[in-house]
Amino acid sequence: MDRPVVGEGIDRVDARVKVSGRATYPTDADLPGLAHAVLVQSTVAAGRLTAVDTTAATAAPGVLAVLTHENAPPLREARDRLGPLPPPPLQSDRIVHHGENVAVVVAETFEQATEAARLVTARYAPSPPVVDIDDPGAEHVRDPFGSDGGTGDVGAALATAPVRVERTYRTAVNTNHPMGPFATVASWEGDKLTVHDSTQGPSNTRIGLAGTLGVPQDDVRVLAPYIGGGFGSGLRTWPHTVLATVAARHVGRPVKLVLTRKQMFTSVGHRPDTRQTVRIGATRDGRITAIDHEAWQTVSIRDVNPEHVTRASLSGYASPNISARDVQVRVNVPSPGSMRAPGDAQGNFALESALDELAYELDLDPLELRLRNYADRHPVTGQQWSSNDLRACYRTGAERFGWSRRDPRPRSMRRGRHLVGYGMAGTSFFFAQFACAARVTVTRDGGAVVASAGMDLGTGTYTVMTQLAAELLGLPVRRVRMVMGDSSLPEAPVAGGSGLTGSMGSAIHAAARNTVRAFLDLVRDDAGSPLRGAAVDDVRVEHGRIVRVDDGRGESYAEILTRHRQDELTAEGSAEAPSEDEPVVPTGPYAAKFAEVHVDADLGVIRVARLVTAAHCGRVLNEKTARGQLVGGTVGGIGMALLEHTVTEPRTGRIANGTFGDYLIAVNADIPDLEVHFVGGPDPTTPNGTKGCGELGIPGTAAAIANAVFHATGTRVRRLPITIEQVL
Amino acid sequence: MDGSAAQARVSPGQRAPAVVRVPVSLRVNGSERRLEVDTRTTLLDALRDGLKLTGTKKGCDQGQCGACTVHVDGRRVLSCLTLAASADGREVRTIEGLEQDGTPHPLQEAFVRHDGLQCGYCTAGQIMSAVALIEEGRAGSDDEIREFMSGNLCRCGAYPNIVAAIREVAGRGDHA
Ligand code: FES
Ligand code: FES
Repeated sequence: MDRPVVGEGIDRVDARVKVSGRATYPTDADLPGLAHAVLVQSTVAAGRLTAVDTTAATAAPGVLAVLTHENAPPLREARDRLGPLPPPPLQSDRIVHHGENVAVVVAETFEQATEAARLVTARYAPSPPVVDIDDPGAEHVRDPFGSDGGTGDVGAALATAPVRVERTYRTAVNTNHPMGPFATVASWEGDKLTVHDSTQGPSNTRIGLAGTLGVPQDDVRVLAPYIGGGFGSGLRTWPHTVLATVAARHVGRPVKLVLTRKQMFTSVGHRPDTRQTVRIGATRDGRITAIDHEAWQTVSIRDVNPEHVTRASLSGYASPNISARDVQVRVNVPSPGSMRAPGDAQGNFALESALDELAYELDLDPLELRLRNYADRHPVTGQQWSSNDLRACYRTGAERFGWSRRDPRPRSMRRGRHLVGYGMAGTSFFFAQFACAARVTVTRDGGAVVASAGMDLGTGTYTVMTQLAAELLGLPVRRVRMVMGDSSLPEAPVAGGSGLTGSMGSAIHAAARNTVRAFLDLVRDDAGSPLRGAAVDDVRVEHGRIVRVDDGRGESYAEILTRHRQDELTAEGSAEAPSEDEPVVPTGPYAAKFAEVHVDADLGVIRVARLVTAAHCGRVLNEKTARGQLVGGTVGGIGMALLEHTVTEPRTGRIANGTFGDYLIAVNADIPDLEVHFVGGPDPTTPNGTKGCGELGIPGTAAAIANAVFHATGTRVRRLPITIEQVL
Repeated sequence: MDGSAAQARVSPGQRAPAVVRVPVSLRVNGSERRLEVDTRTTLLDALRDGLKLTGTKKGCDQGQCGACTVHVDGRRVLSCLTLAASADGREVRTIEGLEQDGTPHPLQEAFVRHDGLQCGYCTAGQIMSAVALIEEGRAGSDDEIREFMSGNLCRCGAYPNIVAAIREVAGRGDHA
């Protein structure tokens, strides 16, 4: 009972409902009179629709409605908390990517809707699409995020640097592909709209839908108690969600719309491809004197995508001269979007590969090169870190991995017919905290219900927030119930940017404190209470009781509520994002990653044999779920390094490998045991000491693997994914 | 199915085929269930939409992810590739049928303890595959488990914990 409830790797509180099949995902929502909607998407990537013939579809059995740009209701261009929404669907005859929505068919059954969707015939006046990042005809947007920056004079420093590397790296388009196809079940009751949706932010989707439909936010309720993963796909309010609500209003019945796996390639974002040039100058003894990083990435024709690829180059290493620039290239592809460590995943690969190349130029251990250039403060702004134990990550990771056994010469290590390579990389992720609110209700039976609109997409938020609330209220974990995933609860930010734990944790911290304060208010003049007259700083909570710090006297929540004839007591709390303009900058998590790869000397087959991560995530609320986050991210990173590549046909803009059979993600047999070690202490920025850790599994993984592949084979691969042809 | 290819085959004005419905009786998790289905309805959709057993999940509808794995006559089957009508008269077991008298199957317990899940969407399929794997005697080593579980994708990347859960139950031998 006195064991700490935070930190310990308790089982997920939602694990039982998930292993029994009882958790309800958006695709499971079933309502009386439910109709089914199926999308028809364009088969050209650019041009205009000249006609959409819906005659046969409309006449097909069971069909209730077919909506196209000719009969769809007008929709507004709207914003949510993350910025502008993707352009609203079915509003014009213009086509800007393959797989753009051209019609939605609603029918009595899923089979009938699917069949009728095939009978819709769209005719186009196509124009040649631009799909290649290198296409000279494409429009370029320089400094699209207003984030270009740096310090010193990179050009001069590079010109005089005794050692220089200049290399270009490329990363492929990757697609998020949560296992749960995105789904929306929409129903109207009068003016009130209820939506079950695969969203990572019920509050945010409510704002987006209300804005697009032109209805008050209070009339919209978005539910997402469980979703089948997201990895960034669920951050935005996508057109298919809007179309489900429009279709439901049109047919006057609840409507379910589930994307097909193929439509998951074109409808809910992807990680854009990049071409990046990194130039680094250094002294002979391995001090970096200049870092210059320019990253080009693709974006769709009509949408925005804040994806800061060069971010970590501005803050990663102690260089007196730094310049980092991002450029977006507009092409006829579906809207990109965040995917697991957006921007950092690609940028880190280029920077950490270039550092490895520099280490070979210098004949210096890659680990030592990083330690020599550790940034003890922000290299551009000069601000101090709120906390940064990256050096401890390097040390612990190297030790657990056995880095000292590495023979630095490429192709020097072998095991049977396999070439063995060791590679490493460092990584950081930005600090994210957003405004969030939470509500605590303590009931007369001595338990508590804690509510916030934020959701758990598999990261463990239900569990860690239960633990945190239990600690802050002095209750056992089993007496706390978290209620989440419902926009009618206190507003919360999206689960993204590794920011929800810090955001919601801070809100619950405030709400718990307000709860204790409310109890103290209740007994302020209560002669029967040992807590009479106590202020919130005079007490602590333990074993379901509030007790005075000075003499240990106190009483339980239940006793107070019983005596005051109240069934429950409720308090809310909220927290804002911290300021960035202080001398101390809120600092996100760090990690060092060490990979061993085995490359078949004859066949070129590459296998990750093991991968060790040492991470500084601030205070870890639950060892088990935090480890799961890092392991899961690493699995995604292995996919990014060796497998994942969304291929777009250059002439047609069609995605050529739009199935799980052709778009390869890591399967069980691709994944070795993955070690994760947590190092370093809590971060002072948030009251709970967390930094966030979800995104940290991805960046660094591909670079560590690519660096290990070079060590194994002597072949430097500067293009992801690394394929057999590239190493043979 | 590829929408553009489908469109190419259907000329404008062509009529959709009339709906044909057939009666199907299945023994699902030990009880007799009768329903009438569209001949195009998959076993997966019949279970989920017809019988409201939504624990079995649809990840791809193309036989490429394993999320829809159930047992038909004791063998692992991808229910999205099985027509409901073709399962007539057969014994079907789904995730909802694994508990016995309110006690979870040892693998369900092991998945909880080893954190063999995150979002939980692939989990029913993973567990149904794993139960069959152990019953078939194919969970003898980690490599064997990894290999035979590779038809069940997990985008959350819970693979190492899934292997640990299966290893524990297979090693204990109380999985019958
Ligand atoms: S849904 Fe059946 S294998 Fe993916
Ligand atoms: S737990 Fe999310 S896909 Fe496996």
